[in-house]
Amino acid sequence: MPDTIQDTNLPYAIRAYSPERLREALKKMYLVRKFEEGAEDSYMRGLIHGTMHLSIGQEASSIGSTMALTDEDKITSTHRGHGHCVGKGADLSKMFAEFFGKESGYCRGRGGSMHIADPSKGNLGANGIVGGGLPIAVGAALSAKRLGTGAVTVCFFGDGANNEGAFHEALNMAAVWKLPVVFVCENNKYGMSTSTERSTAVKNIAERAAAYNMPGVTVDGNDFSAVTEAVDAAVERARNGEGPSLVENLTYRWRGHSKSDRNRYRTKEEINEWMGRDPIPAMAKLLMDHQIVTEDDVAAIEAEANQIIADAIEFATQGEDPKMDEVTRDVYTPESAA
Amino acid sequence: MPVEVIMPKVDMDMASGKVMSWHIEIGQSVEKGEPLFDIETDKAAMEVEAPATGILHHAAPEGAEIPIGKAVAWLYAEGEEVGEQPAPFAAVGGDAAPAPEPAEALSDDSAPEPGSEPEPRPEPEPELAYAGDAEGIRATPAARRLAREEGVALAELPGTGPRGRVQAFDVREYLKGLATPSAPATFRPETGPLHISRSKGGTGTPVVMIHGFASDATSWAPIESAIKHRPLIRIDLPGHGKSPKLRIRDFAALVKEVRAAFDGLQLDQAHLVGHSLGGAVALALADTRERKVSSLSLIAPAGLGPQVNGEALNGICKATRAESLGPWLRSLVADESLITDGYARLAMQARSDANLRAAQLAMADALFPDGVQAFDLRAALGRIEVPARILWGKSDAILPWSHALQAPGRVALHLFDGVGHMPQLEVAGEVGKILRAQL
Amino acid sequence: MNAHSKPDLRELSYAEAIREAMDIALTNDPSVILMGEDIGVYGGAFQVTGDLVDKHGTDRVMDTPISELGGAGVAVGAALTGLKPIFEFQFSDFAALAMEQIVNQAAKVRYMLGGSVSVPLVMRFPAGSGTGAAAQHSQSIEAWLGHVPGLKVVQPSTPEDAKGLLLAALEDPDPVMIFEHKILYKMKGHVPEGHYTTPIGKAAIRRDGKDVSIVATSLMVHKAMQAAEQLEADGIDAEVIDLRTVRPMDRDTVLSSVRKTGRMICVYEGVKTLGVGAEISAMVAESDAFDYLDAPIIRLGGAECPIPYNPELEKAAVPQMPDILAAARDVVKGRV
Repeated sequence: MPDTIQDTNLPYAIRAYSPERLREALKKMYLVRKFEEGAEDSYMRGLIHGTMHLSIGQEASSIGSTMALTDEDKITSTHRGHGHCVGKGADLSKMFAEFFGKESGYCRGRGGSMHIADPSKGNLGANGIVGGGLPIAVGAALSAKRLGTGAVTVCFFGDGANNEGAFHEALNMAAVWKLPVVFVCENNKYGMSTSTERSTAVKNIAERAAAYNMPGVTVDGNDFSAVTEAVDAAVERARNGEGPSLVENLTYRWRGHSKSDRNRYRTKEEINEWMGRDPIPAMAKLLMDHQIVTEDDVAAIEAEANQIIADAIEFATQGEDPKMDEVTRDVYTPESAA
Repeated sequence: MPVEVIMPKVDMDMASGKVMSWHIEIGQSVEKGEPLFDIETDKAAMEVEAPATGILHHAAPEGAEIPIGKAVAWLYAEGEEVGEQPAPFAAVGGDAAPAPEPAEALSDDSAPEPGSEPEPRPEPEPELAYAGDAEGIRATPAARRLAREEGVALAELPGTGPRGRVQAFDVREYLKGLATPSAPATFRPETGPLHISRSKGGTGTPVVMIHGFASDATSWAPIESAIKHRPLIRIDLPGHGKSPKLRIRDFAALVKEVRAAFDGLQLDQAHLVGHSLGGAVALALADTRERKVSSLSLIAPAGLGPQVNGEALNGICKATRAESLGPWLRSLVADESLITDGYARLAMQARSDANLRAAQLAMADALFPDGVQAFDLRAALGRIEVPARILWGKSDAILPWSHALQAPGRVALHLFDGVGHMPQLEVAGEVGKILRAQL
Repeated sequence: MNAHSKPDLRELSYAEAIREAMDIALTNDPSVILMGEDIGVYGGAFQVTGDLVDKHGTDRVMDTPISELGGAGVAVGAALTGLKPIFEFQFSDFAALAMEQIVNQAAKVRYMLGGSVSVPLVMRFPAGSGTGAAAQHSQSIEAWLGHVPGLKVVQPSTPEDAKGLLLAALEDPDPVMIFEHKILYKMKGHVPEGHYTTPIGKAAIRRDGKDVSIVATSLMVHKAMQAAEQLEADGIDAEVIDLRTVRPMDRDTVLSSVRKTGRMICVYEGVKTLGVGAEISAMVAESDAFDYLDAPIIRLGGAECPIPYNPELEKAAVPQMPDILAAARDVVKGRV
């Protein structure tokens, strides 16, 4: 864990990360936000084909949870995974190209919004199946342990997945085998329309950790520093061979579940309240309070993010469409193609 | 620059939406994120928030249907000059609208799109040239393949498979039979009425058709479509087609059998068409049943002179396989390419019954002894008064076309250059037209 | 087949052949691990892994909790990140618990990610009826998985192929599902020493014949061979094809056999409707081999019911040798 300043009165993130890393984190949060706003705009203009699941409002969780990871470390992601991609260093242009269904996209137009991934950066993929990535993350951690790579896997999942059998099977096996995996639950209060109160027997999902004999903590998922503090500790524990942990980031998605959501299950007041707790200005304020950036720096970072997104959309628009006669390409690995 | 307010896509399959109501009046201001207008799609209604803070202008009328991604209004900043509407509202089905529904495009009564090629009507499937693949015959794929390759008509084959299904075995046995015919059986005479087949449909005076020697009713197929407006009645000569193999001792006996069949039809009136030997029979029939005959059309008729190509008749009768039949069949036509190997195989198949061949050989011997026509109908041609015409190919190698020149002046002559003994096959279109004009 | 192998040829049982393949793989390739329920000291429900844990240790011969979904997912994740897991289901029926990971993840990851990853995963499924274990421990579900692009599905019928196909599966970069018939585990036959592979996607002609092609899978290959011997006495010369791979299916071998014989019987243990035989039949019907058929195709598949417990009922629910005999006689003698 990067660490420089020892003053324990300072927030964790300020102590743990260099100004460069923190500025980069703020930029990534902007990139996630702008990427999703750009995607939403493209969708509304009919330029994008499928639906999408936006994580606007959850940027502190996705970027904060990936701060301690190297390219060797792995993540598994969810259907609401754009932020995780950016956190793991994905190229925004290739993300947008994938959104536009282009051959130049991360999945060469085969995956779309729900499967953007960059295995070369340790991102094993977003998943369209709720809970689909949980056992896979455990498998990646098993590989790291057997092969002695020292890599840690961060497994993102939502509150909905905590009621899938795969969640329980995965946590149990990770604990039994003491594997280097961190389960990060992004609890945004609703599995589609069903609230955690109506679906989950425990108050905090982190309490489930007790059943699998691993630490479980619940933090404010919109507080970048709180997220990094909890996840970084879990990553370190995993790296030290002490086994898995569960971190629950309490957060909120401003948008509906997907583009078909009409927001009938939550009130305008609730949405407004959470929009008032926007993690990005909070992060900017944290950095300004500690003289890491000025207000002008923040504006410049936002402008830079806007430019990257505009360039990415331009790149995506120019991309080649996949060839229709290659629809079955990539089903099998070529030398063994069926 | 004013901010464009667009019709958002809110459903995966949404192409356009309707502006139901505006939450503010034109000229009023709205904060970004406040509800600005309601839309309705096929599925549901929903509220759309303002994309920016500003003053509403150029709002689409309530009820307007706007394609997704197209402007429904513009938001102007405080103090910004409001001029002309920056762009007209896009219409659903306008420039960018998708092509008309296929159902409309295909509907018969809709006018074709300007500049678009009219959809060519599909050509009707030509009828299959041979009956081998006729529908309704139970045969295995392998049997069908073999039959197709060998030019065998499945309909003619007995099927030994379950419920009479023709199997590859049956085709092979049949082909074996063609290759090694049983020794020419002594002719076993049969008895019974002549076989008659009728076309479907047609009105008015029927047409009675009598085929030539060594042929059968299928020889009329090429011209039937031209005259199918009349009921067509085909008589198979004795020992031909599906008629019984009667013993025919002379021409009179032949005419007697055909006349019995004709009388059996109990027609008030009929047009008679005959080819070659059938022409002679038709002429003889007309001579004795003149009141019932509306017209007489003779195609390369026999009976108008002594000469006949006896060698060809004999060769046809004796051939037991397609390879030996083919050359004789080719002598029937001027353009030999009309007689393909497949045609010869089909013809041979129709002659696969040794008893049929023996019956025809016996008849040839009775009617054309020593290669001479042993009957003479020139007097009959002089007698009949029904409208009559003779059609003949000037390259006929079986019966000399010059026999036609003996016809009296009231008989019309149609003589074709470069046509052999089978005008109804060789120039079917011409023959069809001539016949149709008379029917 | 090897029932009458020469005495100097080494014989192993089908289970021993699989174990030998896994032993070779564990020895030669440190990235290979075995995962499954009770495959360690217990030796596997059918004693296929046997004492491999003693030789290779619990880290490489891993007992999993009774968590088929999670276990399968761990295997997928491990395969994505450098290991080559061989995952044993205790019974193929339990794959139903893991279909999410097999079908939605293992089969699709490569495609969804535009070809940037492969999933070198092997799964073994003890399958089939005949053990009196009834409906939830006796199914033949190879057609379920054969329906999924991205998977390869094999069904070895001999000890030699059981070893060769498993070693081939380990060399294959994509997920390979191996359906092993439980009744075959004790069957002995010649098995070559050392490392060799049997090609995936290639059928084997077990017996040449000219009158009818019997295309069979797994245990049914043996029943078809018995039937073929008896048919010889009737003067019927049956060709027996061991399909070996359900996906990708060996078109060429099946079609050229049908072109030769003009008749085909498919024999498979899975439920007849929408099963492996339906695909084999369709393959013929859609090809030029159709024109060589001289009788309708016959499918002999499992009955339209779960596998019953009563031993006679159990036999009645899957094709038996006399069924093949009767079908061959009917189809050759033109009774169908």
